[in-house]
Amino acid sequence: MANPMIEVPITRELRLKRIQDYIFRMPSLSTTVSKVVEICNSPATSPNDLNRVISLDPVLTGRVLKLINSAYYSLVNRATSLTRAIVMLGLNTVKNLALSTSVLESLGGEESFQAFSMDNFWMHSICVGVTAKSLAAIKRVPITDREEYFVAGLLHDLGKIPLNNLFPEEYVHAMEWAELQHVHLYQAENSIFEVDHCMVGEMIAEKWVLSETITDSLFHHHKPVESREENRQMVAIVALANTYANFLEVGSSGDRFPEDPQATHLLEQVGISWSALLDLRETVLSEIEKARIFLQLTPKGVA
Amino acid sequence: MKVKFWGVRGSIPCPGPYTIKYGGNTACIELRFVESNRLIIIDAGSGIRELGNYMMANDLPGGPIKTEIFLTHTHWDHIMGFPFFTPSYVPGTKLKIYGPVSYEDNSLEDSVGGQLTYRYFPVRRTELASEIEYINLKEDQFDLGDGIILTTKYLNHPLLCLGYRFEYRDKVFCTAYDTEPFQNVFCTDIDDPSYNEAMSHEGDQAARAENQRVEKFTAGADLLIYDAQYTQEEYESSKIGWGHSSCEYAIATAKQAGAKRLALFHHEPLRTDDQMDELTEKYCSRDHIGDTDIFFAREGMEIEL
Repeated sequence: MANPMIEVPITRELRLKRIQDYIFRMPSLSTTVSKVVEICNSPATSPNDLNRVISLDPVLTGRVLKLINSAYYSLVNRATSLTRAIVMLGLNTVKNLALSTSVLESLGGEESFQAFSMDNFWMHSICVGVTAKSLAAIKRVPITDREEYFVAGLLHDLGKIPLNNLFPEEYVHAMEWAELQHVHLYQAENSIFEVDHCMVGEMIAEKWVLSETITDSLFHHHKPVESREENRQMVAIVALANTYANFLEVGSSGDRFPEDPQATHLLEQVGISWSALLDLRETVLSEIEKARIFLQLTPKGVA
Repeated sequence: MKVKFWGVRGSIPCPGPYTIKYGGNTACIELRFVESNRLIIIDAGSGIRELGNYMMANDLPGGPIKTEIFLTHTHWDHIMGFPFFTPSYVPGTKLKIYGPVSYEDNSLEDSVGGQLTYRYFPVRRTELASEIEYINLKEDQFDLGDGIILTTKYLNHPLLCLGYRFEYRDKVFCTAYDTEPFQNVFCTDIDDPSYNEAMSHEGDQAARAENQRVEKFTAGADLLIYDAQYTQEEYESSKIGWGHSSCEYAIATAKQAGAKRLALFHHEPLRTDDQMDELTEKYCSRDHIGDTDIFFAREGMEIEL
């Protein structure tokens, strides 16, 4: 009989198994959950508010898109955005999806974020989403496709949630190691876990049946050249937006390596100048501020 | 295919002296495939009680009843007749009940069979002698056997709701109620603080695409049963978002679809026979309808396709 006092080193297979299990019950971010509940419980929910509140939570956005595109509704026409889903399935259906997903799954709460704070993670995700959408506008991506850029940016770091939650102490080590060695966090993750947040992101995207472009953004946002050619523009934009968010130090998802040697290459790939990128600062910060204000709860009795 | 209307009213049964001609029972349609002796029922509104009685007298003597009930959705006016559907109490009866279900809502069995609990009804569902199978439906196409092809389409109603299109021997029978035109529900007023350009554009595109898909779904129908609870004026003044269409929209859709016959359906419960006659005059006169035969569905009406 095995001695329970002797700690058995965890294998990569076992880690992957635990990650797979975790993805099933991944929590929503507590930063947004109260507002989701408030908006969804209001009898006069405005579609704009519903769309907005869901799109401010990376986990919820992914899960709602997953449910909409799942065999549950088996829509002949895939809904690639929340906007489309709300028109196709109706406000009530999407409201129910958001409410059930968010309330049932938010129980993980603050415990899910031990190595970095949930608020900082949320802010980083929003910053990358907003920047990716703004870059898409500069690159003259058609207006109706820009929401997907936002979603890709918002979700790009989802893979960190299971790693951070399941292996909190090791994750702190990974962050320290990345800082000490001056390498990217994903490289440190790889050394410690033999798996990184990009791979976990891909696992999530596959499990949630997210679109191929979004899947590529989750998997390849640190190496856009490895993504499928047809998705490369979006992946490169998300990668650049990520570098930019780290440079601005808006929020944090644990990567403390702002001087990205890839930056020049990414600028070339996207086809934008550093100064044009810097000009986005005000827009990005004001969008985040607006999101923050939006998420503040309406005081009771002041509907 | 033989079609018979057993309930044509929307929202709530409204029997009485003012609804004798068009009928006061809520939605129930019988669809018979004579050659294969197959019976399909669409919706279990209060009209299904009379249909059940008819089946007891005419079908049961020929052997145990086997039928499929396709529910468009589970709003009460579409399921309330189920506890009074006598064949479900007869041993040997086999029922398959199909319908759409929203995520996290109760199962179809709970929504429909759940009416049979002591608090609502003196018989519990476990006491029913028939064999009942509940099947969740989505937007898809199915081969029902006997040469019957069914296509389903999500409609625009506050609850997930399906339209049914049956194709059999080159004939098409199609239902599209409870529904209203898909709309861009997002703010389109650029001066409104919540206005978002991308959302507004995509909402427009999505609504247009879904309305086109409903047109395709109804295309070439030999009989189209379409939601026409309101007049356009009523719809625009206060009923947008209630999940029902205007007669004008139903007629335009039928014309677009090239439907041979259009049954205006799901009548407003407040509408009297006299008012229905006035609407018939207004919407169904020859010069108004072109090639499509348009009429307001009446309880007891039979149509052969």
